[in-house]
Amino acid sequence: LAGPPSPPGQDPHGWRVPVDCVRANELCAVEPSCSSRYRTLRQCLAGRDRNTMLANKECQAALEVLQESPLYDCRCKRGMKKELQCLQIYWSIHLGLTEGEEFYEASPYEPVTSRLSDIFRLASIFSGMDPAATSKSNHCLDAAKACNLNDNCKRLRSGYISTCSKEISATEHCSRRKCHKALRQFFDRVPSEYTYRLLFCSCKDQACAERRRQTIVPSCSYEDKEKPNCLDLRNTCRTDHLCRSRLADFHTNCQASFQYLTSCPGDNYQACLGSYAGLIGFDMTPNYIDANTTSITISPWCSCKGSGNMEEECEKFLRDFTENPCLRNAIQAFGNGTDVNLSP
Amino acid sequence: ATFGLYFPRKEYTENVYIDQPAGTPLLRIHALRDSHGEVAHFHLCQNLIVSRARSHENHWFQIREKTGLLYLSKSLDREDFNTLTVGNWMPLSKVMLYVFLSSHPFQGKECDSTTLTMVLFSLINATAPACSSLTARQLCFTEMDLSFHIKENKPPGTFHQLQLPSVHHLCQNLSISYKLLAAEGLPFRYNDNTTGVSVTQRLDREERERYELIAKCTVREGLREMQVEVPFLVNVLDEDDSPPFLPNGTDTADAVVEFNRKEGTVLATLTVYDADTTPIYPLESSRKKYTGTIITDDPWISETFRVEHIFDEIHFSPNGSQVRGTQHEYKLVLNKSISVTERRSFQLDVLVNDTEFHGPERSVMLHFNVSILPVSIQFPNTTYQFTVNRNAERFAQIGKICIENCMKFRGVNITYKLLSPNVSCYPVSILPGREGKWGSLYVNDSSVLRRPECKEIQYTIQATDKQSRKHTKTFLTIVLEGALLKKEEDCPDSCAVSKHRAECEECGGLGVLTGRCQWRQGSGRGITTNYSTCTPSIKTCPDGTCDVIERRDPAVCPQDCTSGNIIGGHGKGTGNLGIKSGHGICYCFPRQNCYCEKDDIKEQLCDEVCKTVI
Repeated sequence: LAGPPSPPGQDPHGWRVPVDCVRANELCAVEPSCSSRYRTLRQCLAGRDRNTMLANKECQAALEVLQESPLYDCRCKRGMKKELQCLQIYWSIHLGLTEGEEFYEASPYEPVTSRLSDIFRLASIFSGMDPAATSKSNHCLDAAKACNLNDNCKRLRSGYISTCSKEISATEHCSRRKCHKALRQFFDRVPSEYTYRLLFCSCKDQACAERRRQTIVPSCSYEDKEKPNCLDLRNTCRTDHLCRSRLADFHTNCQASFQYLTSCPGDNYQACLGSYAGLIGFDMTPNYIDANTTSITISPWCSCKGSGNMEEECEKFLRDFTENPCLRNAIQAFGNGTDVNLSP
Repeated sequence: ATFGLYFPRKEYTENVYIDQPAGTPLLRIHALRDSHGEVAHFHLCQNLIVSRARSHENHWFQIREKTGLLYLSKSLDREDFNTLTVGNWMPLSKVMLYVFLSSHPFQGKECDSTTLTMVLFSLINATAPACSSLTARQLCFTEMDLSFHIKENKPPGTFHQLQLPSVHHLCQNLSISYKLLAAEGLPFRYNDNTTGVSVTQRLDREERERYELIAKCTVREGLREMQVEVPFLVNVLDEDDSPPFLPNGTDTADAVVEFNRKEGTVLATLTVYDADTTPIYPLESSRKKYTGTIITDDPWISETFRVEHIFDEIHFSPNGSQVRGTQHEYKLVLNKSISVTERRSFQLDVLVNDTEFHGPERSVMLHFNVSILPVSIQFPNTTYQFTVNRNAERFAQIGKICIENCMKFRGVNITYKLLSPNVSCYPVSILPGREGKWGSLYVNDSSVLRRPECKEIQYTIQATDKQSRKHTKTFLTIVLEGALLKKEEDCPDSCAVSKHRAECEECGGLGVLTGRCQWRQGSGRGITTNYSTCTPSIKTCPDGTCDVIERRDPAVCPQDCTSGNIIGGHGKGTGNLGIKSGHGICYCFPRQNCYCEKDDIKEQLCDEVCKTVI
């Protein structure tokens, strides 16, 4: 029998260079020991909770062997080919390792290394039309204009707007499912220099802020007849691999921390804004709650009413959207065109 | 409860530095009791979860079984640090441990207790900082919020220690003292010697569910003194210790079934209050905890009615402070449509049961006085008479036929039928209106209208209730009037084709009442529902609904019924049918496109002559 699967690549310090889970799965499949353990583990996890799984010797052995395989540290890329398949592989292992009831889950996505300043450089190319007018102009309107000048952005934007505003019948205001899908396509396939400008434009008057709030067609993609409980909504989100991953990514990149100047993990605004945009088009779609120009409040469509004994936990979850200094600083920094300067 | 020990927090956090010596105390964990005499035993599961994914055997952390003090049993050197952080992408490396709780000493490895709390250690890639480099905030408190939960109706006990064991161990020459502010009159006490905070009496959530105190810390170093204050919050957890009760004592409601007999109709609602909270998540289990059952032996009643239970959070203010409670609503709902002939009245009892409450008053009885009244199928006036112009075209809408109270009916399906007269004149037909409420009369054969021998035609109309087969009859007289107009040539089939008022009003088309189309002059401002258009009858087209007669032929009223393209500024109607609003004049070619555009060629263009004057 062959030894443990050969590492796909190692850097000089012996740190494993990460592979994506689809590739890791292929590498595991050609190794008999790895593939059989992986199959065992998946059977262990199917329909069993973590504690029963850990109690089983065979399952535990499978877990230990897999710790040495590339499947263990594999990650996924946002918008990659076979993203869903990649995430399914990721969670097939990780669901058994974490409690599943954990408040914050680690992101299955690769960390974001680019910075906001990369976007500003590109943004300045098309915003340089009339520099004198920028002080009084409506940035959200400018963002819409800039999008319309780009074929790809224009096509996908009008695509989601028409899908999200198409009335189905007197009782069904629109097809939320199709609207969400069109929004996901827009945010996955249009470069962030366009999408961020639409989502995070800074506003001085109400008309602008209302346009910003309307960006995702909230009447279809966001609002609903009733507001569910946030923990219930989180639970719904966690049953879907994509939504669960995007939420975990948001928690990883936007979780406020005292340890950093900006309150953002690694002082990385770009990563936080990216994982915020990544939530749009899922059950956990966030949006501006009103057209207020002075204070920005973001929330998913849920409340903590009816939380019973879980009210503390529910409010903690909701506060990561409504009162999150990292998210707020990141949005404001984008609007002002400022980024934290970090030495490379 | 069989096992009542619990943790007052779900999560604890602390920093761990490289090369901190073995024996360093890290963190103190407390447990609260369910009953007197219980003794807490703490235990660590020998599995470290690294960066929340990889598990690793725990060689470094230990807990004192009796006191809940977590300490380093082995120094974490750089090599250990590298092993634990390999493959970790986070800016901050964390390891996670589960602490379990039992009322008896642990034997061997036990990781299966359901009472657990999570400890997160942040691994800091540096040696422990010097005391002088730490801020007062860091010396006094960890990054986690001081927020706790205590179950109501449980014995008092200590649930937190303000002093940080790691700082106390590291910075012994500093004087760090604590105080609990805003605690006067509240059931909490701070012990100066142990720095422990305890709850001094049983709490009642229905009295108060949240306590907000302030923890104050003073650091003295020689003559220097620093102070930090942070919020200290206690939430009281609820248990089912209140019985259901009726607001204002109302336990009876009237439920009358008359015109609305459709399945799903809510007949009456009764409300029950409970001072306890009811989580809406997970919904189904809460529904099961609070049941509402129809008490009956009559199979007809149990088949015909059902009870729907919804609940919502409400607030009570027992003594100034707001606490959450629950409002339960029990709705009596028709489980199936009831026949028009049914006549009954009876009292229907619903037993509401708070299954988790362990007192004698765990249930209340609700009473619905149900009266099912029969409704009669009959026409209001003895006969109908309609006048029809001889120039009317096919699909012209003549009028509506409706039995008494027909618009109030729901769940009753009436079919209207014309019984053919004995004469050969037979120009009109009838079609069912929405939900079978009325019948729409329309011209089916316009050639009959033109025949001189047809003047006044008598029909018999029959209305039948589908379910009970009950029927009623009345007479209908159609009077033909008006002189025959000469038909214009080159006129289109459909009024909707005409773009201008003149051509509209000189032509006829399908559905016209008097031989000529009608022009609707819109307000002409932007995209409006009141757009200009040419129609067979302004009353029925465009009115925003594609009715049964318009649906018969796309040429009658494409403005309400088109599913094709609309070119120009417009808004689509419900279900993507028709033009809800348009810009300027909207006109349509049936089975093809519709166009909405402004007719702007009103002013004469400036020609060559006018240009050269200047």
